Amino acid sequence: MMADRRRINGPPGGTRPAVFASNSQSGTGATTRAQRQRQPSELRKIFLKTGLIPTASGSSYLEFEPSASLAAARANPKSLIPPSSALKLACTVHGPKPLPRSAAFSPNLVLTTHVKYAPFAARRRKGHIRDSSERDLGVHLETALRGAIIAERWPKSGLDITITILEAEDDRWWGDAPDSHDASWGMMNVLAGCITAASAAIADAHIDCLDLVAGGVAALVSDESAGSSAAPKLMLDTDPAEHRSILSACVVGYMPARDEITELWLKGDSSKASLEDGDKRTGHEALIDGAVDAARGAHTVLAEAVRESLLSAVGQL
Amino acid sequence: MAAPEAKVAPSIPPSLSLPPSQFARLQPHAYLLAHLSPPPASNQPSIRANGRAPSQFRVTSANAGSLTHTNGSAVVRIGDTAAVCGVRAELLHTEDIASWSVSQASGSHKRRRLADLGKKSAEEDEEDEEDDEEDRAHIEDLNLLVPNLSLSTGCAPGFIPGAPPSALAQSLSHQILSLLHSTRLVRADDLRIWYQPPNLGPEEPERHNEDEQMDMDAEHSPTSESKPREIKAFWVLYIDVMIISLAGNPFDAAWAAVLAALRDTKLPKAWWDVDNETILCSDNISDARKLCLRGLPVASSFGVFEADAAAGWRPNVIPDAEEQKAQDQKRKKGSQQSWILADPDGYEEGLSQERACIVVDKEQGGKGKTVIMKMEKHGGWTVDTEELRQLVDISARRWDEMKRMLDQC
Amino acid sequence: MSNQRQASSASQVPHLSPAELSYLYTSLSLPKSSIRPDGRSPTQFRPLTAETNILPGTNGSARVGFADGTQAIVGVKAEVEKTVLSNETVDARSEFGISEDRGEQEGSAAVGGHGSWVQMSIEIPGFRDDDALPVFLSEMMRESLVGAVGSAEASDMTGGLKGRLVINKRWHWRLYIDVLLLSQPLSYPLPLLSLTTHLALLSTKLPKLKSQGEEDPFFDDDWAVAEYLYPRVSLSSAKHSARSPFVRPPVTLLVISVGENIIFDPNREEIAVADAVLAISITRDSEAGNLKLLSIRTVDPPSRLTQPGIPNSENVNMLGAVASTEDVAVLNPATGEEEVPGVWRPRRGGVKRSVIAEMVKTVLKKGGVGEEVLEGLEGVEVS
Repeated sequence: MMADRRRINGPPGGTRPAVFASNSQSGTGATTRAQRQRQPSELRKIFLKTGLIPTASGSSYLEFEPSASLAAARANPKSLIPPSSALKLACTVHGPKPLPRSAAFSPNLVLTTHVKYAPFAARRRKGHIRDSSERDLGVHLETALRGAIIAERWPKSGLDITITILEAEDDRWWGDAPDSHDASWGMMNVLAGCITAASAAIADAHIDCLDLVAGGVAALVSDESAGSSAAPKLMLDTDPAEHRSILSACVVGYMPARDEITELWLKGDSSKASLEDGDKRTGHEALIDGAVDAARGAHTVLAEAVRESLLSAVGQL
Repeated sequence: MAAPEAKVAPSIPPSLSLPPSQFARLQPHAYLLAHLSPPPASNQPSIRANGRAPSQFRVTSANAGSLTHTNGSAVVRIGDTAAVCGVRAELLHTEDIASWSVSQASGSHKRRRLADLGKKSAEEDEEDEEDDEEDRAHIEDLNLLVPNLSLSTGCAPGFIPGAPPSALAQSLSHQILSLLHSTRLVRADDLRIWYQPPNLGPEEPERHNEDEQMDMDAEHSPTSESKPREIKAFWVLYIDVMIISLAGNPFDAAWAAVLAALRDTKLPKAWWDVDNETILCSDNISDARKLCLRGLPVASSFGVFEADAAAGWRPNVIPDAEEQKAQDQKRKKGSQQSWILADPDGYEEGLSQERACIVVDKEQGGKGKTVIMKMEKHGGWTVDTEELRQLVDISARRWDEMKRMLDQC
Repeated sequence: MSNQRQASSASQVPHLSPAELSYLYTSLSLPKSSIRPDGRSPTQFRPLTAETNILPGTNGSARVGFADGTQAIVGVKAEVEKTVLSNETVDARSEFGISEDRGEQEGSAAVGGHGSWVQMSIEIPGFRDDDALPVFLSEMMRESLVGAVGSAEASDMTGGLKGRLVINKRWHWRLYIDVLLLSQPLSYPLPLLSLTTHLALLSTKLPKLKSQGEEDPFFDDDWAVAEYLYPRVSLSSAKHSARSPFVRPPVTLLVISVGENIIFDPNREEIAVADAVLAISITRDSEAGNLKLLSIRTVDPPSRLTQPGIPNSENVNMLGAVASTEDVAVLNPATGEEEVPGVWRPRRGGVKRSVIAEMVKTVLKKGGVGEEVLEGLEGVEVS
């Protein structure tokens, strides 16, 4: 492959990530798996603030609360290997602005979404050029937002939404070898964060929407502590690093005011969900309902952040 | 620029007044000029449109170590410009370096010769210099420091996300790289991973199958009893800077973020594992050590605002030093024609052609004398030696400020 | 530039006038009895021709053509590759000197297989391979392919595709699935590409392994004894045999909702007026024999980007020509918005949960569309 001459490249032979020796000997206790301390339906706190980037028409910054194990590791650092990570991302909105002359006529607002991980965002170093998972996230985000934006109010205009992920969620616990559960569960949490943050930034840019779209994640988790035979349980707002095996997960973009889903992405085997007696829902329905509940929670944060930025804007005038 | 303003002014009825923000957009040059040169009668100090004095920097804050997946990280905000820097360390095995065995052979040869010299007249300085030379060679030739700056984060409307790095981003990346090299901020010794082969006697029974290794070792120490320790790998520092918000002066923010992130960087203890034939690291945080940086170079950027936008055009005459000096003095006595603005924001950057950047450090942690690490100026000729001297003083004061802030984070 | 922008909207907007859109929508959303432009029933697929093993140089291949002339070709190639150890951590075992070589350190990866061993590339004329549409489609199809694992730790190694690719602890197969659409897509190409990929994978054979255990693998060069990637079971016995792992490649169906109706395999005109578009991936459950849901993704309905029609009451040209009572806004129960009947409005908002549940149910239920499709595909192979 040709070297990218527009960037500064490292050693031509390539480098290898550090390999950590067994930590069982050093006794740092980092091998203990991060455990979920929250109740199944308890959501993580979200830090969301809008308008931090003055050069953009709208912007927001979102951060998930660090998990209990991460917070403990930060307070009392022992190991260089972090037990889990918490989402941190910045979103900017530029526009509405005229479409380039070369673009075809559009009676609606043309939305462009762009999601990029910082090279240091994940456990593995990411490249500078977007890979397919980042492009995929961009399409998901666009679907989620397009359902909410009232696009015909801006004919012949474009809206660029850019998200930079400074720290991503883990796909699984770091100690696990990538096995049959190597699906990228962390991407779903990232998408939920992207949807919520982008909604806040769009509101900050004063683009008309039907409602604020909030993202939420739910997953079916088989918890080994309850015995291997136990059927998978439904958990909201899962941190993949805290669970041994996630069987199925679902992320939604949800508008509470209309009770509508603008984006749904469900994957994995949801057929073995154990629900309460008398619950006649199928696994995937329960999963979608769970994700919607998580999104409802995120919506309260979202509404609060938007209201706050509005009040401060009124206060300035 | 002044001409259209003169035309427009009378046509506007006096009752209709523009709010300041509109005026700032329509006539940016006149707006800033009006702020910088208040009427002499008003007795107001010259102040910039953003409320700062010409030599005043924006409020700066820094926060280090908040990103989980980095060896060191920092967020620096200078006013509305925000930069996030993450340092990731990866391993470069010497066996992956194409020319390693060759360069190493010649290098060690040199070292041995120097050691012979050293026996006769052990001078520390010379020893140091040789180290420096190898330091430089390792870091620069092996690309052990890899800074990259990204502006495609939606930080400003002009940069299309997903596009290859813009000219500005490329130039900033290279400025950071050359400053890292010229200040010799990172010591190569921090990045080396040594291996002391066990002394197994002349036969070396275990080594027979590894011809290459054997040859090299034989070449190195045919006679000595204990084998010299060898470098098995280097740490490569990937220093990635994301400009999250751009409102002027990205270089100061980016450099401050790099500096703070490097100060925060911890490298795990690493060793060559003979059984696995690879480098292993310890995840124990007490084994890890921080980088030992050379000094604390702080960058300060300046923009020059000229009262007459066309003043850049000067008569093309054969220079006469005397006359020039007299003219200059006359100019300085009269109303001020140009202002040097420290830490220009995005608005001021758009109005200034001439830029200066000064990187200074102070010896002995601030108690010693000020050292200029880099001085750069382009785009005009307003700043002369006298003013450069003043800028260095301002930069030195900025150094104190930055040191205090970086020590806190 | 414009092409790239439009591409992100999952499919191009056909150039239909608001009047045409409105007509289509009205006929498709007729309660209980939607009328499709080509006369199909809501669950009926477009007629297609299919053949397999058309490319002798591949391990498996298929060609599917729709009646409208769009064709897709899929080739599957398999290569033997050495399993590399992941660099993140050295397993504790290696420290205690149990393992002699690197391969063993990642024993668990070698048993379970890895999703990155399946590579998929989609080529669609008129799109760059990093455009949103091909990326979205290939992620969508790859996700269900590698996700189709047999029940987690159950002993059947052949359960998932990933597990099937493991040769031994140090070697595995790498699968390259190349999908080619031969002409500009006339409709959203997902059903075509998914059906073709399914057939190609069904016909894929891997040479018979002659080496044993942990040796470096070598294979029988007799193609006749090669084994199917997805072991064949005769149709009749399949339904009843509980012991044979009846694993089939997943298939992704495109389902739309218009009004209260649910319509399968929409063509280009139908998808243009859809309220919601879902891509639902299913496979046969290896144990129970019924269908299993693998993934659901919403696809951005192109109806959001269409041009609105103007009711007569707002049309300046028609002013006074019609009585204003003629078009009274009524509430569309499907979208919850006020609409003038017969006047097209671009869709807004999302999908109700009940609609999604109904769509999935139609696919999964016994004797439903999913079973029908899978059986139909099985039939192609036999002939």
